[in-house]
Amino acid sequence: MKTIVITGTRKGIGQALAQHYLGEGWRVAGCSRGEASIKHVNYRHFELDVSDENAVVAMARTLHSDYGQVEALLNNAGIASMNHALLTPASTVNRILQTNVLGTFLFCREMAKLMRRTKTGRIVNFTTVAHPLNLEGEAIYAASKAAVESLTRILARELAELRITVNAIGPTPIETDLIRGVPQAKMDALIARQAIQRLGEVRDVINAVDFYLREESNFITGQVLYLGGVC
Amino acid sequence: MPDRHAIEALILDAVRLLAEDFELNALKSPTTHSPLYGEGGALDSMALVNLIADVEDALTEKFGVSVTLADEKAMSARHSPYRSVAALVDAVIERMPS
Repeated sequence: MKTIVITGTRKGIGQALAQHYLGEGWRVAGCSRGEASIKHVNYRHFELDVSDENAVVAMARTLHSDYGQVEALLNNAGIASMNHALLTPASTVNRILQTNVLGTFLFCREMAKLMRRTKTGRIVNFTTVAHPLNLEGEAIYAASKAAVESLTRILARELAELRITVNAIGPTPIETDLIRGVPQAKMDALIARQAIQRLGEVRDVINAVDFYLREESNFITGQVLYLGGVC
Repeated sequence: MPDRHAIEALILDAVRLLAEDFELNALKSPTTHSPLYGEGGALDSMALVNLIADVEDALTEKFGVSVTLADEKAMSARHSPYRSVAALVDAVIERMPS
């Protein structure tokens, strides 16, 4: 049975991705800061903060001793904070960078070690259309995801020799907790900048992730795929 | 806790297996004096990455200890802890949990 690691599985896109891959016959190792919200014989939950290096290393060691290797990683965990830059405290900046950048990096580093021998490893990172659209009010969130994109492109090169592909997907706004509280007028203006003008759905994300995970996608790495026709 | 001799044997095993995987003739029969990375060493950066990960895994599997070799101390050391088998043994011993 193949193992996929998905971060941020307690709710939203991460939870839906976990349920999708459980349905597809994968063993899913998920994590979040809280308790598991998924009960399935092939689901294993790790309660941790993705930016806690010791906890991530311990999770990787457990996966190594119990399953031997990992075939795929979806770095879904992320946090956002909409605020004008002049009103953004340093503590918020730190929190966003820790989770979105450091967390993504730590999982890439530790899980790539568990993918070394598979010769078919797949890493999918999560970015956002807020970065290419330069959305006001999202300076730190977008900057953190710009870092994730850079990380994706460079890791694609560094891990190519291990035949691990590293790509990213940039969803449009989807009805999840992440956008709850964003004023409707702001959301409408954002959607108007997409080529295809509708809210994203979880199945749009699953479709793109499925594409990256396919065996036939072994010649595709270092790519960032934005949904909704954003470029 | 494993002694120096046991750690040395573990690292020599890891080097031997890596040398087979990467077809590194110079390291197929390694000794404690074998240079690894840097001057005179046969490992390129990718082989070194694999060796470090292999040694960390083996330490967990055989002795149940979690050791991180690629830490800030290793990055800033004047003499690389990866330069030879003996240096790597020292680095592991230094980082063993007390």
